[in-house]
Amino acid sequence: MSDVNVLIVFYSRYGNAERIALAAGVGAIQARANIRLRRVADLTDAKTIDATPAWRENLDRMNRDYVAPRPADPQWADVIVLATPSDSCAEIESFCAWLPSIAPMTGKLAAPLAPGDEESALRPIYAAAACAGLFVAPAKIGASDPITAAREYGQRVTQIARSLKQAARA
Amino acid sequence: MLTLRKAEDRGHTDLGWLNSYHTFSFGGYHDPQHMGFRALRVLNDDRVAAGKGFGAHGHRDMEILSYVLEGGLAHKDSMGEQHVLGPNEVQAMSAGSGVIHSEFNASTTSPTHFLQIWIIPAVEDLKPSYQQFAYPSAEKRGVLRLIAGPEHTNNPPAAHINQDARMFAAVLPPGVSVDYSIQPARYAWVHCATGAIDVNGVALKQGDGLAVSNESALQLRGSNAGDSELLLFDLA
Repeated sequence: MSDVNVLIVFYSRYGNAERIALAAGVGAIQARANIRLRRVADLTDAKTIDATPAWRENLDRMNRDYVAPRPADPQWADVIVLATPSDSCAEIESFCAWLPSIAPMTGKLAAPLAPGDEESALRPIYAAAACAGLFVAPAKIGASDPITAAREYGQRVTQIARSLKQAARA
Repeated sequence: MLTLRKAEDRGHTDLGWLNSYHTFSFGGYHDPQHMGFRALRVLNDDRVAAGKGFGAHGHRDMEILSYVLEGGLAHKDSMGEQHVLGPNEVQAMSAGSGVIHSEFNASTTSPTHFLQIWIIPAVEDLKPSYQQFAYPSAEKRGVLRLIAGPEHTNNPPAAHINQDARMFAAVLPPGVSVDYSIQPARYAWVHCATGAIDVNGVALKQGDGLAVSNESALQLRGSNAGDSELLLFDLA
């Protein structure tokens, strides 16, 4: 059993943020973490989603593949990867606002991620995660290959969390 | 030595959509006396309700074989592989350095019944890989058909796994027997997947397993009124 638990939380409509979340998850596994994958629910109403067939189709698929975060998930996690679309971060911000009501986030690491590491998408997530009490590990801005960058980020934050845990035990 | 692992002594998980029996410790079932057998680490007997399955989850350093007895299994993974597996097909995924996948019942109307087998690889940090191939059902009728092993073989095709272990499958009609020689210092595990079989005089019913050590030969015989299907693992 690994010593680091990584919770990968993402919001995705068409699969782009999902892909980088999965890449971060693979990176975490490569760094020998245990992982859980969770998709946060849409804040948009069903009528609006239904009006966009691609959104509805992807939502039905993702609802089958993933469950929503449960209170036990952030409690279990040492690292919380927060993957958001480059043009919509409200769902992830909402998730971050929920965290302090579950348990103190002291000592846990937040790892915000967006396709293309768009700074405009990441800034609100950095703020939301910090307000929730998480340490924030910044992503690499402007990475040319978002999937490789996400995988390397998953490895890096796992290693950082491992070092933090070892330091806390010392 | 032959040691029977009775079906009713296995661990059991019932989630409503999943009815799973664990020959060895798995998930919430932990028995220090049954942590695996040689490199055979997991042998789960899974029945999954229509349209349901295992959402995206991760694996590392494990050779994962799926063997469908009834229905179909839809697989999707982070390597980009997306396939449906049915009976008389073999799926082998080498998790290697890390992979995420999901497995769902491919049918929205009927349950699926499959065996999931995990074999510990000889080496860690391998590049993840996926293999799937189909074979005629006749190739395992009254014959131990190689399903997976360490050799790269196309005649007949078998899945390559990164361990000195071989998995065979056979369907035995009533009274039909098949012999298997075990090389010195090797072990075997027999799983009765369906029906009933007799292995060197030991009766196995559906779900029973048999640990084999210090034996030089096995005779496996169909003892059911109809066909019986079994898996045999040859292990170092």
